Amino acid sequence: MNGRHAHGGPECVALFAKLSEFLDGELDPTACAGVEAHMADCERCRDFLESLRRAVAHVASMETPELPEHFKRDILSAYAKTRGSS
Amino acid sequence: MLPKRSQAECYPPDMEKSPDDAALLARIREDAPGAFDEFVARFGGRIYAFGMKFCGEREDAKDVLQDTLFQAYRSLGQLEHAEALTSWLYRVAANACLMIRRKGKFEPEREISLEELLPSPQQDLRVQIPDPTALPHEDAVRAETKARVQKAIGDLPAAYRIVLVMRDMEQLSTQEVAEALGLEISAVKMRLHRARLMVRKSLEASYAADAAGRGPA
Repeated sequence: MNGRHAHGGPECVALFAKLSEFLDGELDPTACAGVEAHMADCERCRDFLESLRRAVAHVASMETPELPEHFKRDILSAYAKTRGSS
Repeated sequence: MLPKRSQAECYPPDMEKSPDDAALLARIREDAPGAFDEFVARFGGRIYAFGMKFCGEREDAKDVLQDTLFQAYRSLGQLEHAEALTSWLYRVAANACLMIRRKGKFEPEREISLEELLPSPQQDLRVQIPDPTALPHEDAVRAETKARVQKAIGDLPAAYRIVLVMRDMEQLSTQEVAEALGLEISAVKMRLHRARLMVRKSLEASYAADAAGRGPA
């Protein structure tokens, strides 16, 4: 789709502020339908949204670091010492 | 057309809230034998992971964990409702992150405006960032991608990074982030959006630089 309006107008700028809420499913149905209709008509906004979605997905897919067992032991040991000295 | 993701798809609800939180809280209030060990076993991994995601260094994350566990354990008796335990722990952990970073507070010197993050009309917006679900399986590619994402997150100002980590990595709800950081819901949404835009911009610049370095095919 080549888009039937000039990208960069007020409509695109207004939509720019709503993209995270759109991705998170937090827009009300009317606003959501408005974003979808705009996306169907504006290739640059569509590309931008896709790149934002990918960036968010990269962040969300970062692995969760494991707590090293010796860190846990150190903390339990430090706690036991504070109990012993109180 | 992009498929719109529902909230439930993006953020599994309440993944670790346990009905045993109330029982544990009661044991902590009594200072029962083994209560601290149970507290560490239940929440230690999650707090450490949060510290790692925010600080990026193992020793810093360990300090965040220890400070959070000790301070939380001392004060948990004052917590009236077990349902608030998760937000409350994240609040203590966020403050511990601040102490490590000696930044004082999560208030930015100024809010970054949306205009600063708008792409210019001349900018090529064709997607440069790879789809994470379609990455090659080679360890080197995955490690390189992870390093780019880590840098993009690490470069965020603290006020924005903390919201991104809590919301998109720890998968807290907007309400929980607002409670943990003492922010209005609207401020959480605003900072999350700007944080995501900054990460997008950083990743795009990183991949575009690679493409420019390779030259035309």
